[in-house]
Amino acid sequence: MTGRRLHPFTLLAIAGALPALAWILPAPAGGACTAAVALVLTASRGLRRGLWPAVLTAAPFWVFLRLLHDVPTTIAIGLRITTMVASFVWLAATLAPDRLVEATVARGWSVTAAYLFAATITAVPMLRGRARRIVEAQRCRGLSPRGSLGNRLRALRALALPLVLSALHDVDERALALETRGMVSGARRTPLAPPPDSAVERAARWALLVACVAALIWRLK
Amino acid sequence: MSIRVLALIPVAAAISLALSAAVDAVALPLFLDTTGTILATALAGPGVGIATGVVTSAVNTLRNPTFWPFVVVQIIVALYAWAAARAGLFRSFRTAVPAGLGLGVIASVTSTPISYLVFGCTTTGGIALTTALGKALGLPPLGACFFGSFVSDFGDKAVTFALVTSVLHALPRRTAARFPWALRAIGAA
Amino acid sequence: MKSLTLERVSFWYPATEAPALRDVSLDVSQGEIVALVGAVGAGASTVLLAAGDLAPRLTGGRIVGTVSRRERSAIVLPTPWTQVSGLAFTVWDEVAFGPANLGWPTHEIARQVDRALEHLELGPLATRDPATLSGGELQRVIIAATLAMDSGLVLFDEPAAELDAEGARKLWRLIRVLAKEGKAVLLATSALDALPDVADRLVWLEDGAVRAVGTPELLADVAACDAGLGTSVATVWGASGLPGPYPLTVAHAVRRWR
Repeated sequence: MTGRRLHPFTLLAIAGALPALAWILPAPAGGACTAAVALVLTASRGLRRGLWPAVLTAAPFWVFLRLLHDVPTTIAIGLRITTMVASFVWLAATLAPDRLVEATVARGWSVTAAYLFAATITAVPMLRGRARRIVEAQRCRGLSPRGSLGNRLRALRALALPLVLSALHDVDERALALETRGMVSGARRTPLAPPPDSAVERAARWALLVACVAALIWRLK
Repeated sequence: MSIRVLALIPVAAAISLALSAAVDAVALPLFLDTTGTILATALAGPGVGIATGVVTSAVNTLRNPTFWPFVVVQIIVALYAWAAARAGLFRSFRTAVPAGLGLGVIASVTSTPISYLVFGCTTTGGIALTTALGKALGLPPLGACFFGSFVSDFGDKAVTFALVTSVLHALPRRTAARFPWALRAIGAA
Repeated sequence: MKSLTLERVSFWYPATEAPALRDVSLDVSQGEIVALVGAVGAGASTVLLAAGDLAPRLTGGRIVGTVSRRERSAIVLPTPWTQVSGLAFTVWDEVAFGPANLGWPTHEIARQVDRALEHLELGPLATRDPATLSGGELQRVIIAATLAMDSGLVLFDEPAAELDAEGARKLWRLIRVLAKEGKAVLLATSALDALPDVADRLVWLEDGAVRAVGTPELLADVAACDAGLGTSVATVWGASGLPGPYPLTVAHAVRRWR
């Protein structure tokens, strides 16, 4: 749907505004509206990537809320949580980290924050894979992660320590590589494929911000 | 921001998010999702630790949308870890584990209001059930909520501190020397 | 003209007593390929880091002596997965990472990237995600990314480590092309059999110091073979008790035999 073609900042604005409004606006109407919007957005990403994960993640909360609270409270909090879950699921399915980086660069802002975010996203699967290999390797060496608490903690250490140490060793090499590829060259990075931004989207983002602030002021009165 | 810090933060954040594989293998009820934040702080100071914590939360939110409100906890963890590093509390398990337990208390205290206000104490199934138990025992709502968060946070932070201590002591001197805070954290500077 | 000169350089890594480099002097001219050979830990990687202005600036430690560079340098390190930028989700973007950081105009970036992709035969992989590539493919991407920065001095640390035989052959051909284009190349490698056809000069490092400098004929030296630094042909010749001087390559051996 349109998500793919919206500017990354617009995506962030929407994913930020919906939960904010869910909390600011009076329950349950406010929460119901925002939750509905958020769920429609996730549905636009399809069943597998959007609606189903959102529903699966939000559903348990309703159950536990009913366990602890009465019906009105359950509905109020449940709708808010549903809004937040659905908004972020939509964001995760829609936001392309490289487009976010390009958008930041095109604005002329420092690429640091976007870099840290994107680099972490690429580093996680690599380290996860390494962690699994270490678990396999230690298992082959007879590491038995069952039994007493002390045994399990020792096993945990035998698994976690090599992972963390090898990751820290990588940091040195990554620093060298970043340096040699000009990461802090001082020159302004050239945007390779800046996502198009339109006046309409810019206005919409401002409108969302104003709406949130206005709602907050109105609520506080 | 120096290049080395720029290289460290994503790796540290990824460590926090990758340790779940190790935790699953030993079937312990731990998260270890502040490991990277504490480690980064012990190596390079509170600013780097906070940045690591924020990035960890942001990336984790993509996988599990309920994590974002707890970014505040990551920041508090970084500040606490900084104080612990300055006091050289990572010099042995004897000092690190109690410090970790202390962080467990503080982390629960910080996450309780978030859990209560945002999630109505249903952050996870475990917390919800322990809260119900607390309520049944007659605790007030906030207290019951704290009880729920505390039970999971207490051990988790102690184990995390112990793990970070092991890591800092296992670092080759050559590597440790390049991180200004590392030697101080283990009381060697 | 000398692109790189090391004059009596000694280097200590942080918190270590023993120097990693002891009194090393060498130079590389434009269009020349100089190879560093030696046992593991002899200091070849450290020489490259010093040559690339990464030691001691980024690694920490202490340096004595002078390193002078006439050109911008770029280094290819041995482990490709740590050199991935983390920002790029396609091979094209990964190769463009360096030039974009340097602030070059878009058309220049496109020119350099396309040229580098062509050199490394990466055209078909241009839209792939680097995270899905094999070790060898990723190594070629990193080499392309380094070449795209169009530096006058190119440093290679075990560039063929992840490559298969065919990939390595193409790499050595490419390095000769780079030298012909006027770049200065300094490379550390344990692929000794390739060096007679690739390197103009050899620097033999032992324990951080220069033991010998010469042409690739050095690899047929009795002393080199004894130290494990001979080409396969020379080593086998020597091990079978045949008299010296040892032949460097199969072609030499055939000539000797006749």
